[in-house]
Amino acid sequence: MVLLAMSSDESSDPGAAHGHEHHDVEGPGYPTPAAMRTESAREETAFVMAPRVGMDTDEPDFIAVIDVDPTSERYSEIIDTVEMPNEGDELHHFGWNTCSSSCHMDGLQRDHLIVPGQRSSRIHVIDAADPREPEIERVIEPEAVFEHDLSAPHTVHCVPEGKIVISMLGNADGELPGGFLQLDQEDFSIDGRWEADRGDVEMQYDYWYQPRHGVMLSTEWAAPKTYYPGFDLDDVEAGRYGDSIHIWDWETKEHRETLSFGEEGAIPLEIRMLHNPEATEGYVGAALASNIIRFWERNDGTWDWETVIEIDDREHPDWEMPVPGLVTDTLISLDDQYLFFSNWLHGDCRMYDISDTGNPRLVDQIWAGGNFGDRQSIQGTEIRGAPQMLQLSRDGRRLYWTTSLFSSWDNQFYPDIADEGSLMMKADVYPEEGRMELDEEFLVDFGDAPGGPARAHEIRWPGGDCTSDVWQ
Amino acid sequence: MVTHEVTLDWRDGPTRTIAVAADETVVEAARRTEQTLPYGCLYGACGTCTGRLIAGDLVHTERARALKPRHSTEGYVLLCIAKPRSDCHVEVGATVQAELVSNPWK
Repeated sequence: MVLLAMSSDESSDPGAAHGHEHHDVEGPGYPTPAAMRTESAREETAFVMAPRVGMDTDEPDFIAVIDVDPTSERYSEIIDTVEMPNEGDELHHFGWNTCSSSCHMDGLQRDHLIVPGQRSSRIHVIDAADPREPEIERVIEPEAVFEHDLSAPHTVHCVPEGKIVISMLGNADGELPGGFLQLDQEDFSIDGRWEADRGDVEMQYDYWYQPRHGVMLSTEWAAPKTYYPGFDLDDVEAGRYGDSIHIWDWETKEHRETLSFGEEGAIPLEIRMLHNPEATEGYVGAALASNIIRFWERNDGTWDWETVIEIDDREHPDWEMPVPGLVTDTLISLDDQYLFFSNWLHGDCRMYDISDTGNPRLVDQIWAGGNFGDRQSIQGTEIRGAPQMLQLSRDGRRLYWTTSLFSSWDNQFYPDIADEGSLMMKADVYPEEGRMELDEEFLVDFGDAPGGPARAHEIRWPGGDCTSDVWQ
Repeated sequence: MVTHEVTLDWRDGPTRTIAVAADETVVEAARRTEQTLPYGCLYGACGTCTGRLIAGDLVHTERARALKPRHSTEGYVLLCIAKPRSDCHVEVGATVQAELVSNPWK
């Protein structure tokens, strides 16, 4: 077996060996989650979404290229920016043209990022073959998206049949229902809608899929016109926010089943299945309920769920009502041993042992910023916002996060971000010991970004990560 | 083409008057004249461009989906879908949007 420690920050070469001995062809990913964890090199570059929506500036959003190589002179700096051609996009989540799910596709390369504008509905295709010099290759204008009666692009996954599927939160008016938009992997043209029959599914947000089991699961935020302007409790009371997840048949593209959580699962956002392609279970973070809900497939092919982690609301001396944690992002390590999530309103990031998936065990927690954290500064810089979007190194030893959620929601809860930008921070993780420690040497202050302050949102590494890749 | 004088009033900032054609949105006119106004979706769903009408007549040419009835009563307008029917005075800038919804727990 060839064990080549390929630096995944190098331009991807379809001929490069990566220990893929049980197949005849070399695709763009890794044959197993363990191969990605053990055979990839340490991340040297991070791509970070940097929106400026809702700030008093005429500078556009950009993709930040961050140096995360500790041996580099420019470690923890923004070393390049890719500015969007328009203002007002609100870059948010993004994804790759291919991942390990296309591991058997000879000739495919993981070399393009699909970068949607959450508010503009514009979709940017970025040539990232050289991770230190990404360039915009193509822009799909909003009108082309609206033609399919869809708006508000969110989660991007590549899928094995040469396609890219994006969850879309609204129709062309920013109302319900949303759907899924499918792009062609070769020329990035719009194919049309992915789904064949959406049943009674109206709301969308994130999705995950398990091709080996022919299943896709999708979550719910709200209609764009509801969440875009800000978070209004009246909308929750009126039933305008989601509380369910949906099971889809991956092959027939039909809706199969709805798991309705009620208040216990209010606003289920990020959904993660175990990386092991044999597994048929995972977790979803219910942001408003601040619960982690585990879901799994029963023997008869239907699905079940239970709440496995509850974050208690906390009294704040200056606030009238108890404050929920607001679980806004979740992440599972590639070895399926640890679950990490953020409590954006409280201000902590947690690490749970999930070796017994139904009984997660809290092993460590880092407080940084937020409304309850003792630590409110790092390197003399005020922590604006709180742990939010997470990304873990492939080897599970470094956890990074950014502190902004969404422009209008930032304005409600952490208004300083609009003037001064948000931050990217890091912790060192010790999986053998089940603990993590804030790295006080690492800080990227998006307040100092070229062209002026910006928010910072989703993080990805060249070569794939814990939330980009799925295995067949 | 009829044009109207629209005064853009940044709180704690400058006040500038631009000519806005009757068939042009305030955001379009601001972009044409290189005034910095925040905006997002450009079709009235997201509220990023929210301003507050102090005087004059601005009409929404599409449904102002980002605004609730209480916002419209209080004079909030979506400048990406708003066209003038008279000279207007509008409070603008990112802080206006931030007033639409407050922190519900505080």
